[in-house]
Amino acid sequence: MVLGLRQFTQRTGEGAGEPILDVNNGEEIMRVQPSVSIALANRSLESPGTLYITSKQVVWLSDVDRAKGYAVDFLSLSLHAVSRDPEAYHSPCIYTQIEVEDGDNDESEGSDSESVGVLDLSKVTEMRLIPSDSSQLDTLFEIFCECAELNPEPIEEEEEGHNWIFSADQIENEATVGADSGWHFFQDPPNSIGHSNGDHDLANSVLQLQINDQRFEDAEEMERDNDSSKH
Amino acid sequence: MLFFSYFKDLVGREVTVELKNDLAIRGTLHSVDQYLNIKLENTRVVDQDKYPHMLSVRNCFIRGSVVRYVQLPPDGVDVDLLHDATRREARGG
Repeated sequence: MVLGLRQFTQRTGEGAGEPILDVNNGEEIMRVQPSVSIALANRSLESPGTLYITSKQVVWLSDVDRAKGYAVDFLSLSLHAVSRDPEAYHSPCIYTQIEVEDGDNDESEGSDSESVGVLDLSKVTEMRLIPSDSSQLDTLFEIFCECAELNPEPIEEEEEGHNWIFSADQIENEATVGADSGWHFFQDPPNSIGHSNGDHDLANSVLQLQINDQRFEDAEEMERDNDSSKH
Repeated sequence: MLFFSYFKDLVGREVTVELKNDLAIRGTLHSVDQYLNIKLENTRVVDQDKYPHMLSVRNCFIRGSVVRYVQLPPDGVDVDLLHDATRREARGG
């Protein structure tokens, strides 16, 4: 997985179209917000566009230029907030900070690339999304929160690894249980082997002795009961 | 889960969250989830000269993975309680 902002050009259909998502991996659209402008780093607004919040990423697509679009994974969104102070930014917006590769968030580099006129998307650490309907800001903020929680760190895979070990233990336990039940099955064959070896009488008498013991005890009780009822 | 429970107890208190990009945000802890994602309210940026644009933000969501430190209110730290909790966690885990 690559951190940071990236170009996004895969669209479906005619006209502005829609972003092509990774539906095979369960990506789904959580919110479509039309009429949203975008501002990357300290650059000026780009508009008009449509914001797509999916279960994995934030995608902004220009409504007029099919070649223009940006996307950032929720895994790369360090922080998001609602910004309403006109002194900080002229329009109320969703303000986000983006984690970039190398942890190199040197502002001078950003301005360097800006001075050349080409913006290196992978170094953009700030993104503002400005919906024309600012009453939607709080809703968008909450959707960002929900989606962020849908995307925990991939470190979680290590925990899954532990789960695998747990599963293996469980399989082992099940195997042991299986062996136990198998052991019961093997109780009888030795007797059969005893028969075939000519120890028929010995094996049989032992079995009978055990059975007789039990019956004898029961019978004795029965007899006692019978005796007491007779007396 | 220990820190999750601990931070849940701190909801409503003033904390300072320091991010790995050196940004430090002070605010009221609104909520925390199992990934230690943190929501702050009534925020203000500690180093305002460096991050002037963050002044405007009243509430924000911080991804747990980018948090370097959380500075706690001194009276929000019950050493004995934490001591017990960590021992319990070590035994249970």
